[in-house]
This record gives sequence, structure tokens and C-alpha cells, in this order.
Amino acid sequence: MTDFLQNCIDGVMIGSSYALLALGFTIIFGVMRRLNLSFGPTIMLGAFGGAWLYLHFNINPWLVLLACIVFTVAAGVYVERLCFNAIKRNVAITSMVSSFVIWMQLEEIAIHILPDRTSPFPPLFASLSFEAGPFYVRSEYLFMFAVAVAAVFAVERILHRTWFGLRLRAVAEDPRAAAYMGINAGRVSVYAFVLVSVLGAVAGYLILAADQQVTPFFGLWATFKGLIAMMLGGMGSLPGAIIGGLLLGVIETQSLWYFGNEYKDLAAYLVLFLMLIARPGGIMGQRLVERRRLAFRRV
Amino acid sequence: MDAYHVTVLSNIGMISLIALSAYLLLVCGEISFGQQAYFGIGAYISGIATAMWGWPLWSGMLAGGLIGASAAAFVGALTLRINGFYFSIATLAFAEMMRLLLYVFRYQVEIGGELVGPDGENGFHGIRWIFENDISTVEFMWIIYGVLASVVAGMMFMERSRLGRIFRMIGQDDMLARMQGVNVLLYKVLAALIAGFIAGVGGSLYAHSFTYIEPQFFNVMLGVHGLAYGLIGGLGVAFGPLVGVAIDIGFLEAIRWIQGYRMIAFGGLVAVMLIFWPRGIFDEKRWYSIRRCLRRMCGAETS
Repeated sequence: MTDFLQNCIDGVMIGSSYALLALGFTIIFGVMRRLNLSFGPTIMLGAFGGAWLYLHFNINPWLVLLACIVFTVAAGVYVERLCFNAIKRNVAITSMVSSFVIWMQLEEIAIHILPDRTSPFPPLFASLSFEAGPFYVRSEYLFMFAVAVAAVFAVERILHRTWFGLRLRAVAEDPRAAAYMGINAGRVSVYAFVLVSVLGAVAGYLILAADQQVTPFFGLWATFKGLIAMMLGGMGSLPGAIIGGLLLGVIETQSLWYFGNEYKDLAAYLVLFLMLIARPGGIMGQRLVERRRLAFRRV
Repeated sequence: MDAYHVTVLSNIGMISLIALSAYLLLVCGEISFGQQAYFGIGAYISGIATAMWGWPLWSGMLAGGLIGASAAAFVGALTLRINGFYFSIATLAFAEMMRLLLYVFRYQVEIGGELVGPDGENGFHGIRWIFENDISTVEFMWIIYGVLASVVAGMMFMERSRLGRIFRMIGQDDMLARMQGVNVLLYKVLAALIAGFIAGVGGSLYAHSFTYIEPQFFNVMLGVHGLAYGLIGGLGVAFGPLVGVAIDIGFLEAIRWIQGYRMIAFGGLVAVMLIFWPRGIFDEKRWYSIRRCLRRMCGAETS
């Protein structure tokens, strides 16, 4: 029982990093109704930029974080302009394939920045671990969890309490109606990408700082973990992203503990596959699916 | 032709088959991230059939294709009722599940004092059909292109038939197709089945060409590359995917000095191309005007 609970705690802690990644995916999907496959690689490029500065100039970790954010935002805006803004809205496949080829491009650029397989990455604080009875947690993960919770509240506030949030929701609801109201959809989508890139860069920094190293596989890892977490929680739902991320973390740690390393990812994909068959909208996003299913039934 | 060129050309042929299978689903308006699963299933099944059970290549290939097709139909029947991105992610989840299962799949028999068969993460060694039958790599390349040509011819024939028209109609607007009395789910599952068969046959060729396969070959990058090639070549005609593959593997592989920067060049090129031609090089409109042009030229000659 203690093991099970400790696994749950570990899962929630690791899951908070997945939740942060899923948050970025879900915002972009909510606004654009398209999938941005190169979200992970933009974060990786930012992290490689930060790691390069750290390696060559040995700068303060806070400056590394800042550099990560700046590079990620630049890469994110590049992706938005090239793969999303320039391509018409009604061809969703094209944006996805376009973002995939840009992923390949960003990955190769990142490899040219840091040719080593792994590079060191500086943490913000020295690592501590807390113990409470039989359980223990690491401070990095606790911090990540706090950041994830704070990020959800911040995004919720931005979406529902600011003019930018109102415009964003208007574009997400009906782009044509939003255009008639004088909203510049292109600008809104750039701002959305900037917001998402900042979130992604913070998430990426925290994850890599917990590992203290960065590899070229991080782009793939971040894209897939974020995607799975988003689908589990429900596409386009903010609380869904958090719940999906935490759920993914718990599934992984439990299957790792009870079945071994080979079955860790297998269990996650199995749960995702079954979830998509039984309840495609995920935990929180069923409304969107139901609406379409109703429209189909009426025909 | 030296060994290097034969390898590159064989690769183009085999990757074209997975691109074709992704293309067929794209025509039906579905994006599959999981065609590599059927490619992998085809490779393993046909490898087991020829290397362990002593079947000839053709029956092994047919078995690989059929098992790939039935797996694809099974997954399609489960997941095609959910449309759009949900289907894409479901196929991705299935393909990754298959790949991770191959890591723990062990089935070996002793042949000639040596263990042969899939051995989890150590891969599947000794698919020696081409050595046992004295087939050179050049000859095997012709086998690959023979299969590819018949698949492309079959697909071009299908596209001009009623079936192909229904696939395109579903791809344009599945709601409208349903109003016309088309059973959308049935035809989508059929498309997934054909696509699975093509991918399975491609995988069988792959296993016999490389003689060694491991789960890592069939990761998501293979499937997404296939998908990208399908779109780059164009959704108008079945040889479009071949053009997509030839541009990346053929053209960019050939330019030596670009080696370390190949993906930077290819990625930028394709991203810009997709802005102007969002449905690929040979999209429906361009293919139609090319065909009209050809017909006029032929017509002028005969008259």
C-alpha cells in the first residue's frame, strides 16, 4: 500500500511536467483547431540555446531560463508564421505535415548548436528531498507541480479576464465572426504562440534542470508526452490538460513499479488507445465530440 | 550501378510503399500516424514465414500483406468511427503499442545449429531468403520495383473506378457522402484495409532486403515520413507519393555536400512549397490539367 501511494506521489510529480506540456498543446489546438507537432522541438531549440550559452559563457541559471524563453519564443513565432499563418485554415493536414518538416529542421539546427549527445543543464536550486513518514519527494518536482498549478490559474485568468483572452476565445469559437468584429486573427495567433512558447520554455527548463542534462531526443519526448497527456485529458480543455498529465504520470510510475521498464510506455499507449475508442473526447473534452456526433446522426 | 545506388534505389521503392499506404488514407481524408505498424507486422510475419517455416518469398509476402491488412481493418473498425485528429492519435497509439510489444516478443527455433527468429530488443537476424536463393541485390531491386509498379498500377486503376470516386468523395466531405447514401465507415475501413495490405507488402520486402530487422526500425518517424511524402508528392494521383520519396531520398541523398544540413534544406523547402501548394505537387487540379493536356496532344496525333 505504501508503495502504491509513493508511486502515486511520484506519478503526480512527474505528471506535472507532462501537464505543463499538454497545456501548450491544448491552447494551440483550441485556437487553431490544428495540431502543432513542432511544439516539443521549439522547446528543445530554446533549451539548446540556453545550454549553449551556459556551456560557453557559464552564465547564471536564471539567465539560462531567460535565454530558453527568448529562443523558444523566436522558434515558436517562426513555426507560426511558416506553418500556420501562411497556410489557409481549411487544410489542417498541411499545417501538421508542415510543422513536422519544420520539426526535422529544428532538430538538425539543434544538433549543429551542440554536437554532443548530451550536454549539461544547470538547475535553479540545489536539490533537496522532503520526507513525510514513509513518503518522500524531490524539491524540483514539488516546484514543477507548483508551477503547473500556477500556470493553469494564470492561463485561466488570461483567457477569461483580459482583452487578449477574449479575442483568443472569439477566434477559437468562430474565426469568421471574429474577423467581422475586427479581430486580427493572425495577430491573435502569434500572441497565442508566444504565450504557449513561454509556458513550454518554462516547462522544458524545469524538466531538463531536474535531469541536469539535455539530449536531442527531448523534442520527440516533449511532443509525445504533451500529446498523450492532452488526448487523455481531452483536447481543448485546460483542466483536462492538467488531469491528463497527472494521470499519465501515475500510469507510468505504477506500470514501471509493477511490470517493469519494458511495459511503462506500453501501458500508457494502451490506456490512450482504449480511451480513444471508448471515450474519444478524453476525460474532459467529450462535449466537442458529442456535438459532431449529433450533427452526423441528424443527416 | 554500384552497391550504394542499388541500396538508395531499393530504399526509395520500399519507402514508396508506405507512402502509398498513407496516401490512400489521405485521399479519404484521414491522417494516419500508424502505417509503420503494418509495415512492421508485414516485415516480422514474412520474415518468420520464410526464415523459420521455409516458405517461398511470394507466400511470405502475401501472408505479411494479409496479416497487415487484417490488423489495419481491425484497428480501422475500432477507431474510424471517431474522426479527424482522434483517429490520427489512435493509430499512433496502436503503432507505438505494436513497436513496444515487439521489444518483448520472443519466438525462436533452432535451424542448422543456430537460433533463428525474433528475439525482443535484439531484433530478428537471419532472414536469408535472398542468399539461399542466390538473388543479388540488383535482382531484388527489380523485384521491389515490380511489386511497386503493380501496386501503383492497381491504385491508378482503382482511382478511375467507382471505388476510387467514393474514396475521393469521402475525403472531400464525409457528411455529403453520407447524404448520398454512402456507408462512410465501411468504405473508410476498406481503405484502411487496402492501405494495411500495401504497407504489409512493403514491410515484407524491407525484411528480405535488409535480412535483419529490429523494433526500432518501425518507430513513428517512419510513419510520419511516409505521410509527409504522400502529401508532398500530391493527393491527385497515385504516383504522387513516389515523387515525394524521390525528392527526399533520391535527390537530397545524392547531393553529398548537403549531408549534415539535409533536413534543414528539405524542411525549409517543403514548408515553403506547402504554402503555395497545400495539397502537394500533383494535386487534383494540376493532375487534371496535365491529363487534359496529354489527351489533347494524343488526340492531335491520332487525328
